Amino acid sequence: MGRERRVRLLELARAWVAVGTQSIGGGTSTLLLIRRILVERRGWISRREYAELIAFSQLSLGIHLVALAALIGNHLAGLRGVAVSVAGMMLPAAAITVALTMAFASVADHAVVRAALAGVTPVTAGMTAGLGLVSARGAMRRGGRGIVDLGVTAVALALLLAAPVSPVAVIVGAGAIGAAALGREKRPPDPEGG
Amino acid sequence: MTDLAELFILVLKATALGFGGLGSLPILRQDVIATGIASDEQLVQALAIGRLGSGPNALYLVSFGYLVMGIAGAAVALVASCIPPLVMVPAVAAMRRRVLSTWVAGLARGATLAASGLLLAIGVQILGADPAAVLRLPPWQIALAALGVVLTYDGRLHPAVLIAGGAAAGVALGG
Repeated sequence: MGRERRVRLLELARAWVAVGTQSIGGGTSTLLLIRRILVERRGWISRREYAELIAFSQLSLGIHLVALAALIGNHLAGLRGVAVSVAGMMLPAAAITVALTMAFASVADHAVVRAALAGVTPVTAGMTAGLGLVSARGAMRRGGRGIVDLGVTAVALALLLAAPVSPVAVIVGAGAIGAAALGREKRPPDPEGG
Repeated sequence: MTDLAELFILVLKATALGFGGLGSLPILRQDVIATGIASDEQLVQALAIGRLGSGPNALYLVSFGYLVMGIAGAAVALVASCIPPLVMVPAVAAMRRRVLSTWVAGLARGATLAASGLLLAIGVQILGADPAAVLRLPPWQIALAALGVVLTYDGRLHPAVLIAGGAAAGVALGG
């Protein structure tokens, strides 16, 4: 990363609002849109800086895209940039989500909607499992080490299905194992999920 | 749900310990289902709505917050979910080189792989209490779930199209 660059906060906010409102489908599409708008169109950060900030964000607690917005905002405009970037991406998207939820809640008890949920529920279950696979694909290393990584995912899956185990314990335990044995690769996890 | 403070703490805990967009789901689900704060149906609705909108997948938390406590719940869930990743800014500023060290990368990888496995398990548990219960579902629902897995992994189809297709199938076959 280079030194902090000063970008007008209004311009920064516009860019992140565009990312938040136009990125449909979750993590990957959001990453592509961030690159298109902030790297290619505006030229505020280089491709190398962008790749490095993604690597940092992938190591973050919680929502990686929020970490990425905060890191880019800090890089471009300091702490104000953090606030503007995170709010610009999240507030309009959250407003859209609330509007959709309100619309759903107003018709949730209708007979047709109840029938539709009989189809939406299995699709959502499949999408959740599918996102689990996408997340694992992004974190797995190549070659033989990938088999070890696959084993970690399989054990976590089996533990939750077969035993009354705490998800927190599984994640913390896997994190400890990872710190000791899963870090040997120069390249950080691929930027997927989010 | 008793109060906004409880919702704030639940979402903060789930987001802080989960890695990635839906990484919070296993922890949140355990906390809210086991304690009766919310139902699996509400979580499924929040997940589906979260996939319909724009922005990060984790916005399902905002939809969940609205479903259990209205606008205030949505606002609290949004704030709580944004706090943990902000820790990364001072961490990078203070120790940039160490953040990219081998053990930190390994920690993140291990936690992400585990969270991925937990998401797979939740996909099964949304369908039924256990794998045997899943096999007793009508074949069309199992087929929809399989389609959801394949098309989400493929990533080319918009999630809204998938959800709309599921809704149409539900009306036609389950109504």
